[in-house]
Amino acid sequence: MILVAGPLLVLWVAGLALAALDGRRRGVGVLAIAAVAVAFGLQAVLLGRVLADGPQELVAGGWAADVGIRLRVDALGAVFAALSSGIVVAALLQAVATGVRSRSLPALVVFLTLGLSGLFATGDVFSFYVFFELAMIAAYALTAASGTAREVGAAFLFAIVNLVGSFLFLIGIALLYRATGTLEMVAVAEAAGRLEATTAILIAISFFVAFGTKLGLFPFHFWLPTLYATASPPVAAIFAGALANIGAYGLLRFGGAILPNELALSATALIVIGSVSIAYGAIQAIGRRDTREVLAYSSIGHVGYILVALGLGGPVGLAAAVAFSVANALNKALLFLSSELRGRLTAAIFLVGVLSVAGVPPTAGFFGKAALFDAGVRAESWWTVALLFVGGALSFVYVFQIYQHDRWRPREQRERATPLGSAGVGQRLAAGLVALVVLVLGLWPQPLLAAGRDAAEAIVVARGDG
Amino acid sequence: MTSILTRYVARALLAPVLIVSVGILVKGYADVGDGFAAGVVAALALLLQYVAFGTDAVEHALPIRWAPGIAIAGLAIAVLVFAVPMAFGEPPLEHAPPAGEEPVHLGSLELITAVVFDVGVFLLVIGAVGTIIGSLVDPDREAP
Amino acid sequence: MNLVFAAAIGVIFGAGVHLLLQADLLRVVTGLALVANAASLTLMSSGLTRGREPILPLTGDAEPASDPVVQALTLTAIVIGFATTALLLALIVVLYRRRHSVDLDDLSREEAEAAARDEAEEPALDAWRELGLEVDEPEVAR
Repeated sequence: MILVAGPLLVLWVAGLALAALDGRRRGVGVLAIAAVAVAFGLQAVLLGRVLADGPQELVAGGWAADVGIRLRVDALGAVFAALSSGIVVAALLQAVATGVRSRSLPALVVFLTLGLSGLFATGDVFSFYVFFELAMIAAYALTAASGTAREVGAAFLFAIVNLVGSFLFLIGIALLYRATGTLEMVAVAEAAGRLEATTAILIAISFFVAFGTKLGLFPFHFWLPTLYATASPPVAAIFAGALANIGAYGLLRFGGAILPNELALSATALIVIGSVSIAYGAIQAIGRRDTREVLAYSSIGHVGYILVALGLGGPVGLAAAVAFSVANALNKALLFLSSELRGRLTAAIFLVGVLSVAGVPPTAGFFGKAALFDAGVRAESWWTVALLFVGGALSFVYVFQIYQHDRWRPREQRERATPLGSAGVGQRLAAGLVALVVLVLGLWPQPLLAAGRDAAEAIVVARGDG
Repeated sequence: MTSILTRYVARALLAPVLIVSVGILVKGYADVGDGFAAGVVAALALLLQYVAFGTDAVEHALPIRWAPGIAIAGLAIAVLVFAVPMAFGEPPLEHAPPAGEEPVHLGSLELITAVVFDVGVFLLVIGAVGTIIGSLVDPDREAP
Repeated sequence: MNLVFAAAIGVIFGAGVHLLLQADLLRVVTGLALVANAASLTLMSSGLTRGREPILPLTGDAEPASDPVVQALTLTAIVIGFATTALLLALIVVLYRRRHSVDLDDLSREEAEAAARDEAEEPALDAWRELGLEVDEPEVAR
């Protein structure tokens, strides 16, 4: 049980302590790294336990299940919790190695991790919302913590758009509670199957808009590019690698587990929106020259694949969505972390990320795309398979374009584009660790695919028709 | 500068509003109200002072610079109420006297340890709101 | 009663969205606060008629009590709405201190001008470089 509540307790205590300290001091940053690393360690052990023994539960304060705050970690939640915390550890390591200029950054990152860990671990729809807002508020404050008027403007747009999404989500929760009479996820999933189609569709749409905004899907994406391009690399890595997981997890949890009928009903719409996202992201990315803008648009494109996988549906489609989300989060975190580092070693690290985004073996990205491909072939959705080919080719073009543009220029020009100067050990270590994970998962993909399969199974079991 | 009417009403309202907020706080477990509502009511009185008299006068008259400290103290009290029952082997947040038993009465006031939690929440809210108002009220002033 | 709530939620949400689409950032924040309140009201109204209380009735008589869960949820939602409003106001103060304006049109015009300046300088310098000429690097403010 300590595994379920432990990460949250550690992060709570650390967050409160850090809030009172000056985050610019290196020791405070190291403390924050230690706290998140401990939480990550516990979550990694928890992931192993969940994969071996099934879901772990904890009801706070010995209350009855639908009164007390209930934590319930299944394979899906455990995978995303460990993934997000791990990426935050790497990003925070780089931020501290680069030197933190804002007083509150370590505390905010810890609170963000707390929100993420909580929402992946909770078994209650409303607690999900509370943790979700905790993570998002920390993120809004993080974007505003420093910077020029342009950055603050990007932060404002980010906050407004995402808050509207959050309140729509809250209204969706109110409707769901009204219609099902409970907030406990398993019971909600049971009751949701008996809802009238019109009610359920309304709820499903509000959830879709909320999580689509979080992911930066095509029609809800416009806050994303400026934000990712103006935030510092570690913060951008946290956003693209950890915070965006809320959207993927939310779609899987609320779409896959709670409202599966509506998900199946809207499969075509999901595939269309996903395809538009892929095409839009890729075309915009090819047209950009700034590395981080390319990465931002590439993020918009790549979340489209998750939607396509959800649209394909079935255990294979859901497993592909999970596997691709994991690979995608790692890729984006890796690219953002290494985007402003220079040197031979970091060029190799960046190249790993580039290969992974393009889907070239031996990287995690290859298996993410392969899982999608497999799902498309099995569903005999040839349109999707063709889309995967075209989308893959386009991402190949733009990632090598940035590699070429960034790294193959004459030395004197390259140094002009090096705001960080020569990269320190900590900065390289952070990017290198993520690169190592991407490579290891590329050479030994069984954990990735097994985690995807188990998570998909957890979704199917949760909705009670497995 | 605001009109004399505003200033007079703001001055006349300060004490009654604070008393009402304390009333909401201590009656919270028998009647409508709780620490959060009480904190918000008190914060409204504070805000009215800012509107009527301006930043400098309020900061001179009221202990605004203690607001962050008050917030942290409130949070500490709430955490203590959460944790202390665990030291006695009870579940966290358990109150004394327990449910079903008659609490000690002081006039119409019921004494119950859960009110201490609300006092913590009250201090947290008033401290946090005081900090927020204090830092937002005058955008022309540079951040400290 | 349901109709009254539905109408109130609709009006508040509509007014909020109308304000969200304005150029003045203070109005945008006000609009967001209204949307938050519409969400709170929806939460309240979701417990209106169904009187199935999840906490044991201490009194023992079987009178239907109103649902306390939605009140707890609404209180939480109010606190979150309050925190987000305060945060957005803080962002506006930061913007105002930097630019002395809280109007979206002014801000985006300034940004467009800055972007146009960058665009005008960049290609020319690249063309010079391709010819192999030395150029003085402009100080790019990051």
